[in-house]
Amino acid sequence: MDVSLKCLSQFVDLSGLTPEDISTGLTYAGIEVEETRPLAYATKLCVGEIKECELIPETHLHICKIDLGSKYGVKQIVCGAPNARKGLKVCVALEGCELLGGKINHSVIRGYDSEGMCCSILELGIDKKYLKPEEYEGIIELGEDAEVGSEDVLSYLGLDDYVLSLSILANRPDLLSVINIAREVGAIFNRKVVVPTAKELATYKTDFTVSSMTSRCTQFAAKEIKGIDNKGESPQWLTRYLMAMGVRSISPVIDIGNYVMLLTGQPLHMYDRAKLKGHTLIAKDSYEGDFVALDEKTYKIIKGDICICSEDTPMCLGGVMGSLTCAVDSDTTSVVIESASFDGATIRHTSARLGLASESSSRFVKGTNHFQSEFVINLTSELLKQICGANEFSQRLSYQSETEKVHEISATYSDINSRLGTSFTSDEINSALTRLYFKVTSKKDSFVAVVPSFRLDISCWEDLSEEVGRLLGYDNIPSVLPSFEAAIGGVSPLQEKISLISDLLISKGLDRILTYTLLSAKEDAFTSFFDNDSYHIKYPLTDDHEVVRTSLSHSMLKAISYNISRQNKNLALFEISEITSRNSYKHHLCIGLANKKLEQSLLTTREYDFYDLKGHLEAIFHLLGIEGSRYKLEENKDVKELHPYRSALISVGGTRIGYLGEVHPSLLSRYELKNNKVLILEIELDALLNMKVSPSKMEKISRYPSVTHDLAFIVSKEVSISDLCKTIKANSNGLVIDTSVFDIYEGEGIAPGSKSVAISVTYASDTHTLEEKEVTLVEDNIKFELYKRHKAVLRG
Amino acid sequence: MSVKDRISELRNKLREEVEKITDSSLATNFRNKYLSKKSELSSISSELASLPPDERKESGALLNEVRNEVEELYNAKLDEITLKELNERLKAEAIDFSVPGRDSTVGALNPFYIVENEIIDIFTKMGYEVVEGPEVETEDNNFTLLNIPSDHPARDMQDTFFLREDGLLLRTQTSSMQVRTMAEKAGAPFKIICPGKTYRRDDDDATHSHQFAQVEGLLVDHDISMAHLKGTLELFLKSMFGEKREIRMTPSYFPFTEPSVEVAVSCFNCNGKGCSMCKGTGYIEVLGAGMVHPHVLEMNGYDPKEYSGFAFGIGIERIAMLRYGIDDIRRLYTNDVRFLHQFTKQVK
Repeated sequence: MDVSLKCLSQFVDLSGLTPEDISTGLTYAGIEVEETRPLAYATKLCVGEIKECELIPETHLHICKIDLGSKYGVKQIVCGAPNARKGLKVCVALEGCELLGGKINHSVIRGYDSEGMCCSILELGIDKKYLKPEEYEGIIELGEDAEVGSEDVLSYLGLDDYVLSLSILANRPDLLSVINIAREVGAIFNRKVVVPTAKELATYKTDFTVSSMTSRCTQFAAKEIKGIDNKGESPQWLTRYLMAMGVRSISPVIDIGNYVMLLTGQPLHMYDRAKLKGHTLIAKDSYEGDFVALDEKTYKIIKGDICICSEDTPMCLGGVMGSLTCAVDSDTTSVVIESASFDGATIRHTSARLGLASESSSRFVKGTNHFQSEFVINLTSELLKQICGANEFSQRLSYQSETEKVHEISATYSDINSRLGTSFTSDEINSALTRLYFKVTSKKDSFVAVVPSFRLDISCWEDLSEEVGRLLGYDNIPSVLPSFEAAIGGVSPLQEKISLISDLLISKGLDRILTYTLLSAKEDAFTSFFDNDSYHIKYPLTDDHEVVRTSLSHSMLKAISYNISRQNKNLALFEISEITSRNSYKHHLCIGLANKKLEQSLLTTREYDFYDLKGHLEAIFHLLGIEGSRYKLEENKDVKELHPYRSALISVGGTRIGYLGEVHPSLLSRYELKNNKVLILEIELDALLNMKVSPSKMEKISRYPSVTHDLAFIVSKEVSISDLCKTIKANSNGLVIDTSVFDIYEGEGIAPGSKSVAISVTYASDTHTLEEKEVTLVEDNIKFELYKRHKAVLRG
Repeated sequence: MSVKDRISELRNKLREEVEKITDSSLATNFRNKYLSKKSELSSISSELASLPPDERKESGALLNEVRNEVEELYNAKLDEITLKELNERLKAEAIDFSVPGRDSTVGALNPFYIVENEIIDIFTKMGYEVVEGPEVETEDNNFTLLNIPSDHPARDMQDTFFLREDGLLLRTQTSSMQVRTMAEKAGAPFKIICPGKTYRRDDDDATHSHQFAQVEGLLVDHDISMAHLKGTLELFLKSMFGEKREIRMTPSYFPFTEPSVEVAVSCFNCNGKGCSMCKGTGYIEVLGAGMVHPHVLEMNGYDPKEYSGFAFGIGIERIAMLRYGIDDIRRLYTNDVRFLHQFTKQVK
């Protein structure tokens, strides 16, 4: 909320306080001041009178001789405004004057010296939206009473004001009121606060009535007022206050309504009495049908919306906007003013459904004081009398279905101190609460506080502790560390394993990325493998945020694509993230590799392939202490997004938990990745992380020497290396302790469909040194079995 | 010529010859020629037996002296050239140490995770338990049980991603974990932090993101006060931003805490003097906190007369952006590797 400091100073003594002091005080008390700015900005202005004014031929410019009084004398100023004329009193920006648009310097225009500038109101920094065209087209025309030579032009114009932009917390709607801000400022600085009073004006008894037929309107006060002149303009002080607080002046009656709302926080509605058909206004929530609002648009009203009806016709969409049919205009001479209380939730729903919000609706949504209508109506009447000459006032009309209850809270002083961790005295606490308009009755160790009716946010003694804390200052709270007995904290084993995997992959040169959870429903690549019973956003506003992802692969490909389009061609990335489906909440790991692995800067590079991915996978299993026999790679027939012959599924205990492989070339173009080699792995981590692993225990290392022989043979391409190694081990009488592949070759010299494989086989015994004979015997058996099972033919 | 003279002459000759040795093959030649059994020294030695005793003794001594001297000279020479030759070989093996090392690439951690890990480390050292919970939440856990009943204006404050299933949503705050934790701890004191992703309907721009992450903190025990909250957050912020930092609490509003505060730390860019980073105020707002609202304790099975607690919520992205001067929150989610590789964990 924007507050005029001048307006505020009507109600609280601000003497000796700078706008910055006030701003700091408010911020520390919880009313954050986002900005403090002057209403108008100019440093060196002076009232002048145009003594001579001649048009420069063939231009729109005038050469003016302007009398600036005894201090500055007469100056020549070139002025382009159409309204410049002899005898006019103007606002002159002297040489050296700083305006928002820049500094005024002595200049030469069309060969004529110009020693300043005649200002328009826009040049003083006032926004066009607050002005009528005649106010900003041309230079400011000062009144006859403006004193030539006076430098206090801003004050003459009523623009010598400061604006505080306050950020009001959601629990303090009472502060959307200048009077309540004045109370708060008074409490903070311990200054005197003068809340305006207004006597009831009643000159006749009307037969007009108001009431409510819905619990959504608990209070409805009104007054009929006649003899109004709404033809003129509001006085300058009123338009300036409104301007400072962000409201455009419309007509005196409407301006008064807005001003009273700004002062009290209570939204008002003004009906043109002559346009109301009947003699009643009734709040209802049963109306259905069309409604033409003040903005000249038609809205569909449904049951539940609050309407203020006259003879069953809605005259106002309660708390939101009035009807065009009874709108106040310049011909209005009598009005009914409404000050009511509406249910905030209802207003919120109506306003949201219709896409129609107003200053009034936003205040009802946040909450208003239900018990100040009398004051609000009286104040409005008073102003209508003062400004619009209103002379006939009906009695106050009122409907009220709730009564004001005295809200008392009891607490002990030690409650307050123990919550804050402070040692304020009872006097300090009493004083803080009293300054904030609580009525405090103090006993020895405890007190009872009566909550002021405008404080909607106070319901328990903990709320009082906040009031005391913020007023006496949170800087007075000491810093103490809690002594906590059960202090065995730390991360869960699952979290610990995830961070180990993260560390491992980073040390292997992969970058850990972070991507968005919500995807477009169209982005369905890689969704079929994992549980894809996904959550959908109820009313998605954009295509991008429709579905809660059930796999990370799509996000990975997007990250790869983003990088490659920025010339980051060679990539090794991974993401670990929670994955939520309608059935489960899990952690997934996704690895993406693109193009080349840089081994020594650019000196040695090679393309990533399947085995890079597999290596990372094996390293993770190894890290977690999961033996190779506990997981399996299987042929991939499920994941169509992968190269069918360069991919595999990962299975653990018969359950498939992930996939790895080259991305299918036909998918690459969808991600603008054509001509790039991209590999991806995704795995459900929870299955691995929850796997039981036997604790490590030392195994004896044989003290007898081992023997290593190489075996090379030709075998069909289809035979897997792991099967060959298994056969070797299985037929070695327990003597083979290790097999490792050191060459696989296809191509020239090898028959098509075959490959040459070389395996290094290590023999050892726990009980004795192996003899050559023994090894030969076993090796012969191995060769025989390799041939028998795999048609593997020994080379050379 | 007497034997003695011959020996003397040989000595001079050998002294010259030794100097001529410049490589290992010349050294071998020298050894074979002058120090073997067929050498001149050996043949003179065999002649000594035929000399008269006096002369034999004298010449024998001289011969030994010469032999020792030559062997010494030879050995020194041999050492010298062996060393020289070794050095030559090593020189030929010279490498360019400015060539990049092999397999030196270490992956980068998105700065988001650097900050998240650091926050977790600081609190686990203080004995906090780290808990994790689902991103799809019930309205009850996300709002109602946090003292935000339906139609509370606070539900307007945060535009929520509701799901098609009635009563389910993407959590708008990790505070929903307060509810889950209190249910799990069933009345016992505890202190936890909960890092996690949260979602709000926001249009993504430099400072807004529909997805962001928080670390929720919650401590519930007997006799907990705001002084404990202040002490805890002061320790956290000093660990995070440096010993010299001071903290400032200003009143704020969250439906689930009372009192509620906004916590700011003295600006680490200007040390509180006022600069563009802290908008001239000397302080930077970093997190929201407060004393757990008695309604929240009560609704979740803790008697507010007996228990009190504090809660705080730290925005991970905000801290990362402040610490590293990141100008746009979206950078954390687009993962340009040139961006990722700029950040290393700060070792203090």
